[in-house]
Amino acid sequence: MLRAGPSQEEIRRHNLGTLLRHVHLGGPTSRAELTNRMGLNRSTIMALTADLTAAGLVREELPRDTGRAGRPSLVVRPESGRFYVLAFDVGVDRLVAARIGLGGVILDRREAATSRGSFDMTEVVETLAGFTRQMQRKVRPDTVCVGAAAALCGAVRKSDGVVRFAPNIGLEDAPFGEALSGKLALGLPVAVGNDANLGALAEHTRGLGVGCRDLVYLHGDVGIGGGIIVNNQLLGGVSGYGGEVGHTVVNPDGRLCGCGSRGCLEAEVGERALLEHAGRSARGERGRDGIRAVVEAADKGDIIAQDALHRVGDWLGFGVANLVNIFNPEVVIFGGTLREIYLGSAAQVRSRLNTCTLAAFRESLRLRTSALVDDATIVGAAELAFAQVLADPLEVLARIAT
Amino acid sequence: MSQAPVLELRGIDKSFGPVQVLHDVAFSVYPGEVTALVGDNGAGKSTLVKCIGGIHPMDSGEYFFEGEKVHVSGPRDAAAMGVEIVYQDLALCDNLDIVQNMFLGRERTSGLVLDEDTMEEMAAKTLAGLSVRTVKSLRQHVSSLSGGQRQTVAIAKAVLWNSKVVILDEPTAALGVAQTAQVLELVRRLADNGLAVVLISHNMNDVFAVSDRIAALYLGRMAAQVKTSEVTHSQIVELITAGRSGELGLPTGNGASA
Repeated sequence: MLRAGPSQEEIRRHNLGTLLRHVHLGGPTSRAELTNRMGLNRSTIMALTADLTAAGLVREELPRDTGRAGRPSLVVRPESGRFYVLAFDVGVDRLVAARIGLGGVILDRREAATSRGSFDMTEVVETLAGFTRQMQRKVRPDTVCVGAAAALCGAVRKSDGVVRFAPNIGLEDAPFGEALSGKLALGLPVAVGNDANLGALAEHTRGLGVGCRDLVYLHGDVGIGGGIIVNNQLLGGVSGYGGEVGHTVVNPDGRLCGCGSRGCLEAEVGERALLEHAGRSARGERGRDGIRAVVEAADKGDIIAQDALHRVGDWLGFGVANLVNIFNPEVVIFGGTLREIYLGSAAQVRSRLNTCTLAAFRESLRLRTSALVDDATIVGAAELAFAQVLADPLEVLARIAT
Repeated sequence: MSQAPVLELRGIDKSFGPVQVLHDVAFSVYPGEVTALVGDNGAGKSTLVKCIGGIHPMDSGEYFFEGEKVHVSGPRDAAAMGVEIVYQDLALCDNLDIVQNMFLGRERTSGLVLDEDTMEEMAAKTLAGLSVRTVKSLRQHVSSLSGGQRQTVAIAKAVLWNSKVVILDEPTAALGVAQTAQVLELVRRLADNGLAVVLISHNMNDVFAVSDRIAALYLGRMAAQVKTSEVTHSQIVELITAGRSGELGLPTGNGASA
């Protein structure tokens, strides 16, 4: 059926969401600035802010000191203390839960190291729910939780948040979101996303990728994950598994990968490869500290560590070159443990990149390390949790109130 | 990216007594970019930087700043144009706090007394602008800071004066891996904020991690100045050690004989 244009109500809802998003991402913004950015007239902005203020999502204040003549425009500020989301990060070595306020302020966080090899979903869900209860206890009574989301190192189905495959934490077809939502018992669904996808989202909204239309984010944990943003949209693919660059093959005769294939980027560049090349896996070194130790040793002249980084950097260069040739991104961001690996092997990475990509593709390419560092995944999870309230603020508040 | 250089040197010669250290050196530095200056020990990196900073007078050659030919006869001239150099020794005073160090010799006054509030505010703003979160208090003595934090303060000091060109002499030497990463990210951020940065380093990973261009000195001559996206590690190593690599580099294999 053909539809006429959007109704006035739909436009209003859309504008409310857009205004809230501006304030959420840009911080306190004057009404005049919002008028400029949204291309709406002043009275519309005034009506929209009045609606959001009435709902308690924002408040308006006089600016401190503009240094300009004339009546100052009111500044619209997000109510970070009142509206928050719960964000979770399930990595191989750590579990994080955080309470993040509107505007992206981390209000509270809890973190625990996990032991490898004995990953049990019920236990993890229990721990995260325990963290949440601890954090909720300190919360003022007038605060409202408007969403919850988790970042997880595995392939997550878009339609229902089921974790299809996460070899590094041993999950397969696990309804993680449902389990966590049930345990939290807040009456809120928990959205689940791939950690590197959410890292890409975080860098795009709050990190190095602000203002970038096309970026690639690579996340190193035990495995290698990727998130690709094309034309300001996260590349999800048909089921939401898109961007799983860790399992692209760079070396057909290479090392065996957890996914069953051989020579995946993850198998050649991941933590296990680096530590094994450096002869350190038997010593029980692992995780970020294990990787730092290799980079440190290489820096001090340890030839075996240097050679290990050399090999890993070379394969990383191949992987990045393929991505650059396919997506022609403006920036490639190295996050998680790839930050250390890139900085410790940049000569190899870029030499490979410079010989395997087309010159025109490199002209405007920037290679950067993550600006959000260890918070990238949790910040991304928070953005996922905020998505609904930003799409339709008043409807979500009404739903929560009932 | 391909804008005009903010600082450009042409045909620089410099001798110390009978020893000619720089031969006909050309060097360009671009805004928003990190230019890595590499070369073996004694290739002339430090001398070149000191010529840029006005510490050594140049024997001959031309110095252009923002397209205008200038004459730099001392460090004050260079600083007045907006060229700041952070030396390896950092030139920080251990017995002074961060704010005092950042304003050392250029203190703000209001009337007869020092304007501590304004200085502290400016220092805080500069550090915040560089996303420096590792320093706890601005009134901390520099002696209590780690190597990476000292480097950060020295860099922030150079940036405070609305500088346009910041030259860093081996900022990551003697730092651990975690601190090196922070300093490299800071170097990158300076350039991403629009400054022209010159990074002197012997560490090829550091050079490739953050630079946009690489200038290789070989025995006092500029072997090549290339874009980092157009060369490989081995080419740069050849330029440093032999002055040539394939099509790149000095016309004769041995630059010293010319």
